[in-house]
Amino acid sequence: MKILIVEDEPKVGKALTEGLKANGDEVTLAQTGEDGFFLASSHSFDLIVLDVMLPGRSGIEVLKTLRKQGLQVPVLLLTAKDSIEDRVLGLDAGADDYLVKPFAFPELRARLRALLRRGKTETIVSLKLGTLEMDLTTRLVTRDARPIELTVREFELLEFLLRNKGRVVSREMLARDVWKESNRATPLDNVIDVHIARLRRKVDDEFERKLVRTVRGVGFMLSEDER
Amino acid sequence: MARFRTTLRTRLTLLYISLLCVVLVLYAASTSIFVWQGLLRQMDLSLDRDLETVENLIALMPDGSIVVNTGDQEGVLLLEVWSASGTLIYQSADLKGQLLGAPVKKEDPTHPANRSLRLANKMQVRVMTRPHRLGNQSVVVRLGVSENALRVEFGQLVAALTLGLPIALLLAGVTGYFVALRALRPLDSMARRAKQINAEHLNERLVLENPDDELGHLGTAFNETLARLEHSFEQLKQFTADASHELRTPLTAMRSVGEVALQNGGDTQYHHDVIGSMLEEVNRLTHLVDNLMILARADSGRIPLQRGEVGLLELATESAVLLEVLAEEKKQSVQIEGDESLTVIGDRLILRQALVAIIHNAVKYSPPQGSIRVRVGTRNGDALVEIHDSGPGIAREHHAKVFERFYRVDKARTRGEGGSGLGLSIADWGVRAHGGQIELECYEHSGCTFRIRLPQNGSSGPSS
Repeated sequence: MKILIVEDEPKVGKALTEGLKANGDEVTLAQTGEDGFFLASSHSFDLIVLDVMLPGRSGIEVLKTLRKQGLQVPVLLLTAKDSIEDRVLGLDAGADDYLVKPFAFPELRARLRALLRRGKTETIVSLKLGTLEMDLTTRLVTRDARPIELTVREFELLEFLLRNKGRVVSREMLARDVWKESNRATPLDNVIDVHIARLRRKVDDEFERKLVRTVRGVGFMLSEDER
Repeated sequence: MARFRTTLRTRLTLLYISLLCVVLVLYAASTSIFVWQGLLRQMDLSLDRDLETVENLIALMPDGSIVVNTGDQEGVLLLEVWSASGTLIYQSADLKGQLLGAPVKKEDPTHPANRSLRLANKMQVRVMTRPHRLGNQSVVVRLGVSENALRVEFGQLVAALTLGLPIALLLAGVTGYFVALRALRPLDSMARRAKQINAEHLNERLVLENPDDELGHLGTAFNETLARLEHSFEQLKQFTADASHELRTPLTAMRSVGEVALQNGGDTQYHHDVIGSMLEEVNRLTHLVDNLMILARADSGRIPLQRGEVGLLELATESAVLLEVLAEEKKQSVQIEGDESLTVIGDRLILRQALVAIIHNAVKYSPPQGSIRVRVGTRNGDALVEIHDSGPGIAREHHAKVFERFYRVDKARTRGEGGSGLGLSIADWGVRAHGGQIELECYEHSGCTFRIRLPQNGSSGPSS
């Protein structure tokens, strides 16, 4: 997948580029709004990650001009300002999603995947990892064919982890996508930790192979590999 | 000069002089008119007497002609005698053929009785006209007297008034200017002193000569403003110090963890741990900055309330359910009760944030197996949400400070369990923004009650 990153802060730009390259994507980095605009209009990309605060030409202006020229590429805005007006401004300018700095890298990746998936209807009815199976229609969860009783919240949590299996999921992502909490200031970290602990008890305790993994400082991951 | 003209005391003096000028001119004019009329009246009285005297001097000759026996009388005699039918019968020699006004009319011979007129020789006279019986004949007698003496007297009066007016104005102006100067002098000294007060000397106050006069009121108001400013400034200083401390702690942790790891080398597992530990600190900083941003925006009134009808019991239940697992982990019981139909008009998200913060606080400070009670109700027209915990209670002297930023009753209980120290500040702001307040009530060894009081009519708060 070809991704254009427009970001003036060199460290952030480099980290994003390397992170996405490690993921197997083809990444181009532009450090000014002008460069970004030129690249976006002369090459074809699958996705654009656009910083709002850029020297010279702001991300919003670049985006507006691109959209005016009829460019349809999905655009994810990076903004340091977390206020409703800024979000509305960005989305009005034609952004498909936005992410407030500082953000967790796994969340950026998840958002980008979601943008690419957009419009494609999903027909997944069951999720699976090793011997752990989840039937989305009957809402039945089994491991080694033994049924596991889960609360609604635990089911949603496991579903989210399964959909992102093999990838780290941050607490912010869980708060937003599982708890549907739009307010970043709501103290959910402890709540999430307790739920993960309970899920782990039900899913992993009786089995030798542990699936729910804590990635220190980042979040959680569902994976069969020991590391 | 232009600057001089704009000073308050000059303006006051000018205003004062103008007003005085108008008043004096009106006074002089009315006095003059009054005096003039008085003089005329006097003159008419004496004219009346003169006429009576003259009447006695008039004699009718048998041939129908008239003789006036002036005898040895001095001065000028201006006399006419008219017949009732309007013919001039007699005219004194001093008149030199001039008439004392228009000829007497037959229909209304005595009109006007008194009048002033100017003769052809420029002499200003007062004339009185009266019917008189001379034997069996009716005549009309007209007597004139010079007004010169009266006019001179009146002229002197007007001159005195005209000359006195500017002198009076000048005196009043000078006096007024100095009175204003004196009255406003405290203002000058207040202004000078106020200029010297800056951020470093906010504890200084204006010296008030008389706190009870208008300037004293101004000075008192200014001093009160200064006191509030000083208080806010102190809070800001305290806040800045606290914030830098809170920011510095995770930074220090990250720095030392990183430095030690670089020094030690170590395997991949170790490096993963180190990076993870640093990221934990980053998360802590992120939360802190997020909360600080909310407070900064709230302080500058840039968070508009999205008002709607909010069911308080439902909101309290939702907030408690969100945190239920934390209470379960500590085997605490959470009870929620109250009026299901109670609603307020407000911003659901902001009120929820306040409730979550307070319930979170209750879970945190209640012991294992403790109980937390949430009650929704009304009192004196206000909607109430009471959150009662079974914690150790908070000493009275800490009550007001609980909502201050970064304030922790137990200083040792920082971070980790303690949270960012901003939750209750944000809750307090949120409730205030709705025109309500949070009250705190504590009982010896039986916990505290945080009482959120919200006006039910949804009256607007300070930052809407």
